[in-house]
Amino acid sequence: MIEKTTPEVGGMGYPIKRKEDSRFIQGKGNYVDDVHLPGMVYGHMVRSPYAHARLKSVNTEKAKELPGVLAIITGEDLAKAGLAWMPTLFFDKQMVLATGKVLFQSQEVAFVVAEDRYTAADAAELVEVEYEELPVLVDPHKATDPDAPILREDREQKSNHIFHWEVGDKAATEKAFQSATVKASVHAVSQRCHPAPLETCGCVADFNKATEKLTIYLTSQAPHAHRTLFALVGGIPEQNIRVISPDIGGGFGNKVPIYPGYVCAVVASLTLGVPVKWIETRSENLQSTGFARDYHMTAEIAADANGKVKALRVKTLADHGAFNAAAQPTKFPAGLFSVCTGSYDFANSFCEVDGVYTNKAPGGIAYRCSFRITEAAYLIERAMDVLASQMKIDPAELRRRNFIQPEQFPYKTPLGWTYDSGNYEGALNKALEMIGYKQLRKEQEEKRKKGELMGIGISSFTEAVGAGPAHSFDIAGIKMFDSAEIRIHPTGKAICRMGTKSQGQGHETTYAQIVAQELGIPASDVIVEEGDTDTAPYGLGTYASRSTPTSGAATAFAARKIRDKAKKIAAHLLECSEADLEWENGKFFVKGASSKSKTIQEIAFAAYTNIPPGLEAGLEAVDYYDPPNLTFPFGTYICVVDIDKGTGEVKVRRFVAVDDCGNVINPMIVEGQIHGGLTEGLAIAFMQLIDYDENGNVQGGTFMDYLVPTAVETPHWETGSTCTPSPHHPFGAKGVGESPNVGSPAAFVNAVVDSLSHLGVKHIDMPITPWKVWNILNEKGVVT
Amino acid sequence: MALKIEKTFQVKEPVDKVWSILSDPRKVATSVPGAQITEQVDENTYKGAIRVKVGPSVTDYKGEVQIIRLDPQNHEIEILGKGQDVRGRGSASMKMTGKLRPLDDGGTEVTSISELNVVGILAQMGSRVINEVSNIVFGEFTKNFQALLAQPAAATDPPADPAVKPLRATSLAWKAAKGVFRRDS
Repeated sequence: MIEKTTPEVGGMGYPIKRKEDSRFIQGKGNYVDDVHLPGMVYGHMVRSPYAHARLKSVNTEKAKELPGVLAIITGEDLAKAGLAWMPTLFFDKQMVLATGKVLFQSQEVAFVVAEDRYTAADAAELVEVEYEELPVLVDPHKATDPDAPILREDREQKSNHIFHWEVGDKAATEKAFQSATVKASVHAVSQRCHPAPLETCGCVADFNKATEKLTIYLTSQAPHAHRTLFALVGGIPEQNIRVISPDIGGGFGNKVPIYPGYVCAVVASLTLGVPVKWIETRSENLQSTGFARDYHMTAEIAADANGKVKALRVKTLADHGAFNAAAQPTKFPAGLFSVCTGSYDFANSFCEVDGVYTNKAPGGIAYRCSFRITEAAYLIERAMDVLASQMKIDPAELRRRNFIQPEQFPYKTPLGWTYDSGNYEGALNKALEMIGYKQLRKEQEEKRKKGELMGIGISSFTEAVGAGPAHSFDIAGIKMFDSAEIRIHPTGKAICRMGTKSQGQGHETTYAQIVAQELGIPASDVIVEEGDTDTAPYGLGTYASRSTPTSGAATAFAARKIRDKAKKIAAHLLECSEADLEWENGKFFVKGASSKSKTIQEIAFAAYTNIPPGLEAGLEAVDYYDPPNLTFPFGTYICVVDIDKGTGEVKVRRFVAVDDCGNVINPMIVEGQIHGGLTEGLAIAFMQLIDYDENGNVQGGTFMDYLVPTAVETPHWETGSTCTPSPHHPFGAKGVGESPNVGSPAAFVNAVVDSLSHLGVKHIDMPITPWKVWNILNEKGVVT
Repeated sequence: MALKIEKTFQVKEPVDKVWSILSDPRKVATSVPGAQITEQVDENTYKGAIRVKVGPSVTDYKGEVQIIRLDPQNHEIEILGKGQDVRGRGSASMKMTGKLRPLDDGGTEVTSISELNVVGILAQMGSRVINEVSNIVFGEFTKNFQALLAQPAAATDPPADPAVKPLRATSLAWKAAKGVFRRDS
């Protein structure tokens, strides 16, 4: 366990209030749309109504005549500058503005710039675009049919197939299946959904023609990486680009990619020499920016007669839309999907994924998860329930029989991951106890006799976060280390700057607590700044629950460097040798003479006023941390549902979440993260789908159709924890922000299926809407 | 988005009179809110336009109407209409089959089966809105069609320079919205 500081210092483990909240709750946040610069003008995007059509002409004459219109950029204009296409984050390219063809509804076709936002929107209506409709490909299962229309004429390969990826021992897995006593399988779709952050994407591009400096205020989860990409793709010298991510209203992976709107605003500002603002509408955000999931998966488990699992075989079809704009490390076409063996001790496994193009918006980004982990966790937790149901073994018992045991860590999975630490049964037992599992099963049995429908769903997930070891993880080639810089002021106060970027995670509080823990400087005396590439050290940003595992670790190591120097100064001040000093609670004292001591504040003052001979002035340090491995948080979630037999409505009666994310920095923030993630998981399980009709029209493109949960739909969350520190992290933390979104969908779905399993229901695909449930009840003849 | 709408209504007029109107797209068009026939291309093909406004979304479809089957014996007509929005906001096509059946009281039963396919911004509103809008449009059509029948034969000829009465936009959106919420609540 971590030794606690005093409450005044507020180091690790204290539930101190979030420092950033005072400005947020007073409406004093500063988001991209709050940026107003002198002479600023506005952009608006003209978008395609068709999912697949040839672009015959773009006529901008009428639009240009509208007073207040300053410029209209088309794909042809960008093509002249070599900018009609840009690279995605995953070895593909995408159109900035369409040339030749449009490939999805709402694709960017032209960018109108005007003196105000309303004129820009009005002028966009006047742009006349002539299209010739082409056959539309919506169903990914038909993407490689011989008669499927070829979507990407720009590619050498005249096929809609993007990649095939496989991992594991195919032969050994086949063999295990051949000799298996029991086989269970499930086909499950992790449906296309969208992070729908409260703040949509946008930017203000400000090119100063005199200094040739381009400042971009950007809704970015990775400002440094974005600066480098703008430099590489746009040919602008990197020292002349400054990306500023101010307050960000939620990202969830949606703000990792670079979008055409950003590029158009930059091009417009370079051309006009004035700041250009572009902010998406809600529908533009839902219809054109990074969607998540859209994995069509089959899992098969081979087991023995006792329910001990032997092998796992997974086959998946990934729908990437018009361009493969997945935001994930380049080594992994399907991200970390191969953690699909989950918390269980499989001797053999084989996993294959095929990616295809369709006439849909490009993506898939990692929505509140490390690159496809939610899909993986959902699949294995669903499959384990199917096996349990088939073998008539209690799902908690089946999990217990198959867990990787604490003494097996570090545990190497058959698909190549090395889990750092875990105690899966500990989390399961705690969750079972909290919810009163035995009692609930009794109640369910009695209710079934009366014809009432009640279900209990368990999910014992394993997450893989904190990318990553630089040898395996990168974004477009830039390695996934991360950084922290700490400067101690003469009065003992501090400022920290990070390569990560908070979008609501509470970094201004948690990083300050790490400094407090390591140096004894009160967290309230530490300012944390992120998001300005001119001031912060280089880093890869915040997603994949990586901030604590990477920049958090860097903060601890930078603080320790400062402590090393502080020791030299303390030895000078106390006129003793460094070897005679010991550190405790923010001060160095002479061994055996604790009254002879110097606090970190006294030492900081001396660093500027009484510098030992031969030592540099100042007290600061920077650290770039490359973690040796990912961290693997885990937990068990249990959900209890009641089904309304009249309406098909699912009521979540109880939900217990036991999380283990190692040592905790701020328990209140952890709890808040879990509440948020569970609520998003609930929405995915019951409400959310970006659907397309047969012509490729988006059917989930507004909040009328794409539902976000409010307090009305959200149940009461009961949280608990166990603590299994990461052995390789400097303070044993693992990361937690995404666990609830990764682990919860399976718990919800397992609960609903459990409530109907005695009627022969084996699986229901998300979102489980009342209409879907009612139809099943109707089919089974149990509607009342 | 594809929708199939089947409607049946009865009129007092005899089948021959109803057929004289139903078999002439120029006459039928005057009953369709917001629609207009602008030009006859050949015996069976016409050029036309229709404006549909749902809330803030205005779509001006321009295209062709073609009679693909005309069966005076059985009083059946099949019309195919296709149009694109002039500002590139989408397209729509509709295949309508009209059938007349003489009734014992001397009146006529009119049955229409419309298969509507909408692509573009309008289609994003989903079937519940498009359905409601179609219901309203069809209701207005029925009313106009009946009014047209009540007029003396000569008056049913379309005016030389048809003054298009656009589909009543705000009320349409409002009615559709009410329809949606009524059903969902």
